[in-house]
Amino acid sequence: MNILEIHQLSKSYKAIKAINKLTLSIDQGQAYGLLGPNGSGKTTTLSIITGILKQDSGGFLWFGENPSAKQRIRVGSLIETPHFYPYLNLEKNLKILCEIKKQEYTDIERVLKETMLYDRRKSKFRTLSLGMKQRLGIAAALLGDPEVLVLDEPTNGLDPEGIAEVRETVLEQVDRGKTLIIASHILSEVERICSHLAILKQGNLLASGAVKELLSKEEVIEFASSDNERLLKKLKASKLIKEIEQENGVLLALLEQNITSADINNFAFNNKITLTHLVSRKKSLEAQFLELVKE
Amino acid sequence: MLSKDGGRIKKLIRIEQIKILNYTPFRILLLLYVVFFTLGIVIYPLIDKEIPVISLSDLFRFPDVWSFMTWVTEPYNILLALIIIMITTNEFSNHTFKTQVIFGLGRKELLSQKLILIFLLAVFATILVGITTISLGLIYSYKLTFKIAVESMWYMAVYFLSSISFMTFGLFFALTIKNTALSILSFIALRSFVEPVLFLILRKTEVRWFLPMRATSRLTPLPNLMEIFQSKMDSAEPIEDTAMEILPKGLPIWQNVLLVLGYLSILIFFSYRIMNKKRLT
Repeated sequence: MNILEIHQLSKSYKAIKAINKLTLSIDQGQAYGLLGPNGSGKTTTLSIITGILKQDSGGFLWFGENPSAKQRIRVGSLIETPHFYPYLNLEKNLKILCEIKKQEYTDIERVLKETMLYDRRKSKFRTLSLGMKQRLGIAAALLGDPEVLVLDEPTNGLDPEGIAEVRETVLEQVDRGKTLIIASHILSEVERICSHLAILKQGNLLASGAVKELLSKEEVIEFASSDNERLLKKLKASKLIKEIEQENGVLLALLEQNITSADINNFAFNNKITLTHLVSRKKSLEAQFLELVKE
Repeated sequence: MLSKDGGRIKKLIRIEQIKILNYTPFRILLLLYVVFFTLGIVIYPLIDKEIPVISLSDLFRFPDVWSFMTWVTEPYNILLALIIIMITTNEFSNHTFKTQVIFGLGRKELLSQKLILIFLLAVFATILVGITTISLGLIYSYKLTFKIAVESMWYMAVYFLSSISFMTFGLFFALTIKNTALSILSFIALRSFVEPVLFLILRKTEVRWFLPMRATSRLTPLPNLMEIFQSKMDSAEPIEDTAMEILPKGLPIWQNVLLVLGYLSILIFFSYRIMNKKRLT
């Protein structure tokens, strides 16, 4: 089922074009990441689809319907820093949101326990640290067990422990079949969590699709042997590598699709050459991302 | 349909309830408001003894007590409008309008929340005036029949309207200016400074009666004090203050009411427009 469909969405702030004819489609169960450097339009896009901002042109559909407050109830969101009533305690703040979400107050206990904030439920929001405020934002997004989670930099302000907790919570939701839309510039997290990606730069969509396709399957290996010259010649003649070069007594090879370092190891053995050194270097998402964005 | 709307209204009331009942400035201002009223019941009789010739207790008699009390307590509306301004500008400064929208409240409902609050506060204010007036009336009237008591009770309805209008003015200022201090200042400036000045400038014309805030406060105008005191004094001819041009006549009451209703509609219309277009940061 189509959860969110964005079509030719554009928004400018005076002279600056924040997003330019963005078109995206997100299906149920996908963990969709929005990647991009600062100013690429991630937050603008999320602001528009959650009703904070009005677009200049283009449109979007939630659950196949025209956007309205009714659908936002089905979506749990955390956009930028979470804002609550500073003079109200956590419980009361969540009560207000429960009313909006048409949920029973009993749900409050569940989400507070999930984010380890239950014993602070009677504390006023303004007494919370930055990390706790962020956790409350996530707790609030989980109210009502929504079908879709929209998170804008959810690990903002969290220590490593907090980041790991968020990742766990998010992955659990994905496992349960929820749809996730997450904007982040922490690539290692996105790599671990997301099934699909959209890469934005200055409001334009550079690439989108399944992570498996966007991530190169090409492996780069670094190796050395007892007879580098002969190995180099043999490998060049074989169909195992795309490129190979020698540097400082070490060989660097870009393998063909679906060829692994184990295959190279076997090849060397079959040609009676022993490898003395073999290191596999997968081209990380970060490297690819920086490359794409640099263009 | 009706029950669905009723449920929606109750939901908005519950939400506002959680917000305001725990908001200290609100509780203080409301307490202040009630204190002013109770002080009134105590103070007026005390002043009465100090002023010669005129007996203030004339003012507290039915039916004139209605027009007198609604005129005297009309300025208290500023307190109520201040509450509304503060609560609304807080939603901007705390970015809680944004949070509510993200979680599934419609833009229209953000405004409806405040309008419902205004309605409830106006009801509260009117009831308070009613109780105070009836109490004073019962204490000071010696010739009491039911007919005399309720004769001018319509002043309550008019008071209710002036209360709602004033608060809605405040709401509009809060929505456009967003900043607490500026909104309060501009609001008070308009009522106590700008409009009185304009009123003077336009003193030769009829237009001056159409200035919005003045029109609202004139819903409960200064009662014909001379006439009231007259009943005690033995005078051959009744003196009218209009003849002496102490207080110009102004618009007849029903015209005033229509005018204020008109302003109210315009304010609410533009308020909804603003809420729909605004970028909620």
